Amino acid sequence: MKVLEFEVRSGGTIRIDLEKCESCETKACVKMCNTPGMGQILELKDDVPALKYTLEEVKRGACTEDLGCELECELHGNKALVITLPLPELDEYLENLSEQPTYLREG
Amino acid sequence: MARLLEYQGKALFKRKGIPIPEGRLVQSVDEAMNVVDELRFPVAVKAQVLSGRRGKAGGILFAEDEDSLSQSVKDLLGKQIQGSPVEGLLIEEKAEIQKELYMAVTADPSTRQPVGIFSPKGGVDIEETAETEPAAVFTTPIDILRGFYYYDAMDLLRQVEGLESREMLTLANLFVRLYQVYREYDCKLAEMNPLALVEQGAMALDARVDIDDDAVSRQTTLDIDLAEEAGERAATLLEIAAATIDENDHRGTVHFVQIDPDASCARTTGKVPVGLDAVGAGTGLTIMDELVPLGYYPINFCDSSGNPVGSKFYRITKVIMSQPQIEGYLFVSCVSSQQLDNAARGLIKAFKELYPRTGGRPNIPCVVVFRGGWDDVAVDLFREHGISDGRWIEVLGRDTTEKESAEIFDALYKEWKKETGGLQ
Repeated sequence: MKVLEFEVRSGGTIRIDLEKCESCETKACVKMCNTPGMGQILELKDDVPALKYTLEEVKRGACTEDLGCELECELHGNKALVITLPLPELDEYLENLSEQPTYLREG
Repeated sequence: MARLLEYQGKALFKRKGIPIPEGRLVQSVDEAMNVVDELRFPVAVKAQVLSGRRGKAGGILFAEDEDSLSQSVKDLLGKQIQGSPVEGLLIEEKAEIQKELYMAVTADPSTRQPVGIFSPKGGVDIEETAETEPAAVFTTPIDILRGFYYYDAMDLLRQVEGLESREMLTLANLFVRLYQVYREYDCKLAEMNPLALVEQGAMALDARVDIDDDAVSRQTTLDIDLAEEAGERAATLLEIAAATIDENDHRGTVHFVQIDPDASCARTTGKVPVGLDAVGAGTGLTIMDELVPLGYYPINFCDSSGNPVGSKFYRITKVIMSQPQIEGYLFVSCVSSQQLDNAARGLIKAFKELYPRTGGRPNIPCVVVFRGGWDDVAVDLFREHGISDGRWIEVLGRDTTEKESAEIFDALYKEWKKETGGLQ
């Protein structure tokens, strides 16, 4: 399985399933990343997304974590890109809650 | 500001050679009985909470023997002192006090440098003394680059009437050590109140140490949970979670405080608890001012600044929405230079994750107002992702005032309540 996975500054990962990208007609993630004001870290290599920087540089902050790549891929691409941004302390808080948060309830 | 409990502050004093009473921290009657052989009666049993005026609130008891110690521990453990639960007790040998004094080093915002403070009137609130007896409070500015030396302390203490030479020498020595605590541990305040003169010299009977928030990450030996300043109570788990968002990433900040963590204040005043995220603290306060008269009570305050990255908005939105009491949510930006499309993407990602069945459309009334840089893109993103079509969300742009935002939320809430009956 061809995957591009890299870590980001805030603690999290971006994972791109390159097999899905091969059949993607829009390459929306790369276009969005190279829009003015965005991170400018992705480029196309062999018709799939690749990093312009080293993994260390990306982790140090080259990736601006604007989330544009994921949302664009979801809307206009092949849903190949997943950004995981953990917050373990929030998970711990939620585990200890006696009442469900409102988003889990019927409203 | 991270405030340390008394026993933690005293541990720092001890590291710098400031005498403190012999004492032990306990969390149960059994633990108290186990340390009883290591201490001499009478002892003081002191609730370890962050709130001030602990003594007046019944948080300090004295025990003459094992039976009264056991009873004191039972009486205090689990008690609420000004809203803070007592989870630990400091048992200390009771000092034979000859005189109670006050000594502190703190940051003086008006001169932007540390200041040493001394008063022969210890054991009481220093602000109160400064007001009622200003002549009893002695201060000296401290040049942080030059430092604070024994003779600087002596210069201050010589102004105080009634101190004997021997006492002055002891106190000057302690003053320098207190300054060392202040500097080495990046304090905003290092305070001994009371500082007691006793037969053997002087000792700190109480310790109040506040660490500068911005320095907490480098004070690794202190084991402090980083969180926004929350007054005289310990940080909540949710505040601790929120504070980790900025911990390793300085690209913009998000500040989150729970004003009313269990929504008890909102409910007792008959108001509806809501979650709030503001871009700009001034806007946050203004929208609160508009919401409260309409019957809504933001149970948290949150402000982002410095153009945070989208991932910070994603995380803080999840934090705010995790408050189980909220019956509504508002995101309101000031007319900001922030790149608001990043904020929008953070919110959209969070909403889609929290409401997967509806594609991110919330089940409680939400008003989202984008005003500032890229605000048109932000509004379009919500429409493009289909969230604006949700029944219970209004996404608004630059022309919306805070007053209008609150009124639109009010109308939406009333409609939601009427139609759904509220949350089940």
